[in-house]
Amino acid sequence: MSSLSYFISRLLQIIPTFLIVMVIIFLLVRALPGDPAIAMADAKATAEQLEQIRERLGLHEPIWVQFAYFVKNVFTGNLGDSILMKAPVTEVILERLPASGFLALYAVLFSLLIAGPLAFVAALNRNGWIDVGIRSVFQIGLSTPVFYIGLLLLTFLAAQMRWFPVGGYGTTFWEHMYHLLLPALTVALYTSAIIMRNLRSSVIEVMDAEYVQFARAKGLPEHVILGRHILRNALISTVTLLGLSIGNLMSGTLVTETVFAVPGVGRLMLDAIFARDYPLIQGLTLTFAVLVSLIFLLTDMIQAMLDPRLRVS
Amino acid sequence: MKKILMATVAATALMSAFPAIALERGGSLTFARYDDSTLIDPIYADRNPDIWMVTNLYDTLLRTEADGKTITSGLAASYKVAEDGLSVELTLRDGIKFSDGSAIEGKDVVFSLNRAANPDLSPWAGLLASIDNVTSEGNKVTIGLKNSDPTIVLMLATFNTAIVSADAFESAAGETDQDKAKALSMEGFVGSGPFVMKAHQRGSMMQFAANSHYWREGEDGKPLPYIDGINFLVIPDDATRILKLQAGEVDAAEFIPFARVSEMQADANINMELFPSTRIIYSPINTRPERADGSANPLSDLKLRQALNYATNKDALVQLVLHGAGKPVSSGLMASTTQLATDNGPIYQYDLEKAKALVAEAGAEGTEITLTTLAGSADDGIILAALQQMWSDIGIKLNVEQVDGPTRGAKNRSGDFDIHTYGWVNDVNDPAQVAGWLGYNPTAKAVGTGWNNDEFNSLYEASNTEMDPAKRAEQYARMQEIYAAEAPLLFMYETPFAVALSQDIKGYVQTPLGNNEFATTWIDR
Repeated sequence: MSSLSYFISRLLQIIPTFLIVMVIIFLLVRALPGDPAIAMADAKATAEQLEQIRERLGLHEPIWVQFAYFVKNVFTGNLGDSILMKAPVTEVILERLPASGFLALYAVLFSLLIAGPLAFVAALNRNGWIDVGIRSVFQIGLSTPVFYIGLLLLTFLAAQMRWFPVGGYGTTFWEHMYHLLLPALTVALYTSAIIMRNLRSSVIEVMDAEYVQFARAKGLPEHVILGRHILRNALISTVTLLGLSIGNLMSGTLVTETVFAVPGVGRLMLDAIFARDYPLIQGLTLTFAVLVSLIFLLTDMIQAMLDPRLRVS
Repeated sequence: MKKILMATVAATALMSAFPAIALERGGSLTFARYDDSTLIDPIYADRNPDIWMVTNLYDTLLRTEADGKTITSGLAASYKVAEDGLSVELTLRDGIKFSDGSAIEGKDVVFSLNRAANPDLSPWAGLLASIDNVTSEGNKVTIGLKNSDPTIVLMLATFNTAIVSADAFESAAGETDQDKAKALSMEGFVGSGPFVMKAHQRGSMMQFAANSHYWREGEDGKPLPYIDGINFLVIPDDATRILKLQAGEVDAAEFIPFARVSEMQADANINMELFPSTRIIYSPINTRPERADGSANPLSDLKLRQALNYATNKDALVQLVLHGAGKPVSSGLMASTTQLATDNGPIYQYDLEKAKALVAEAGAEGTEITLTTLAGSADDGIILAALQQMWSDIGIKLNVEQVDGPTRGAKNRSGDFDIHTYGWVNDVNDPAQVAGWLGYNPTAKAVGTGWNNDEFNSLYEASNTEMDPAKRAEQYARMQEIYAAEAPLLFMYETPFAVALSQDIKGYVQTPLGNNEFATTWIDR
């Protein structure tokens, strides 16, 4: 199978995923206890006002009619109006997505920069004191709650030392880089711990593999063995992990976004759920589903590049 | 010693003869908010972050002083209610202008009030249900009423009747009124308040600039506002908002958690303000004879409800939850800052013996009650732990059920609860809104309790058309008396609005209704 047809077949697999997600989301949102009209109108609405709101939201229609509208709208690119934001869902999501995307990529970049070299150093010094030291430090990163690390960084590096702004997002690219440095680092401390552990054990596994021993027996220089044989093979499982992490980060940086006042989609999702903002919850979930599917597709493509066996199978 | 005394006297005399610090103009304020506004329009504002900003962008015909009670002139220089109470005549101030420089005229008032009273458009139209027609001639505006309405003058000082430009709405893009309001709220903003909307990035920041056409004058005889503009930053996390203030990145931070008020008070760089509010925290009690599951409801017994109120040490709750920054309620029906609130000191003062006797009379020893709380709310967690302990002293076992806001709202509406935590802030200056919500059964089953008292209901109905202030005050006094005696709520406490400001920010006010008032704010540079 060529790379292109592999790509197309993987792309087509996204469609059923998308459809299943649509059904699940539609039903799950409506299974939530609580009435969106009440959530929307706050405590103060009269029974009459609530009826008006339900009418406007089409909540009187039978559920299958509501679903039919939903499907029709999704395929015409109309995700409806957000109840909470009083604006089109697509517009609201597009406004918030860049901040979350920026933060996720920034955090992944940090994770790789931190985890990559250290994983190799640890693996090459297996069970030595450097290895134990590196692993212990990362253990702390893994076991400390994200909001706590975030607040510590904010308190010391931002509020006291004044090296960084206390939260926010900025308006230009360089402002984003500056404002998001601490939140990205906060997230990276956690993800890099996972990546480091994974990469370290992969490297150790690959180092013991016969083809590496063979390369060494052939008398290849150490940097060639490290680069071409160890790194490339060790990265295969790490790329999968990285893909999963980015997927998680796109939708799951809620705590970091809240602590650092980053106007991203994580916080938006929470607000939408608390407001029972059906259109917004649906829109966000579908967006996440598409994004995660695309990231996994990309992951698969990179894996296929690293590992020719995948393309053949 | 005598010399020091003399010097002190002289200094005091000097200070009272001249204002302590000369007022300064210019500069912009950076304000950290807990949540962002979505649509700041007089009639579409339905969440506090919207409602509390409206009067900065749109001025009202009449205004209230900072106490939230005293009525004063606004865009209208004067007003007169007809003898029969069936009309109000207002005279517009000369030379008033919108932010685009166009004149504010009678037609704008007619447009704004018709829009505000239109039930198809405004969720607040019910507050203006007495309006029959609005007409204008020259600078005179006449509001014809279907029935006499003692609240109408106060309503003209409330956000939902603020004045928008009829021409701007006419020419704004969009098909529906709400689309036009949205279009106007962004580009091409035209308003009548002290500020104009300059920029808004949803969920992160909003900028106001001074409206150079605003009519009100400051203490220096020049037009308000004193500052050139305001940058609002949205920082949902309490701790981050405070850090931002401590780092000097913002000049003010709102909604300071009460647990941190004393820390802010001790900081020499920070002015910790506790503005009196109309916010009350209470817990509706289900008074229906049966619970939602059909079982007998022990809380339908008045004696048990009174016992729970006596067994609840409100002073202790104020200490535990608010760290002392609040007080037990003195009127069960409304905060003490509300007009016509009776204040004879705290109601249901902690009295364990009385509570025990009432439980015995009701034969309710060993009764199990469920408190529905908000999941994730630290305050509710403290309230639950305190009540469990306090009520175990009178032999009542308190269980807990944790839900999120919308679920709690739905339970309140359907009566599927025993007791649940709740709160309220007035949106308008008249007590009719809160009394209607908490006590008048037809509005919302007396805040979901199912309590239905004929005398209360008829007093409420009568008070809504009673034009004699003294009589109306009597009616309200009696309603509050009945409500307290009948205890459809677990009466709890009032809380202030806690705002921390940098020491150089002067003149900022948050009114008892929650409105953020920036017109008279200035920066001491």
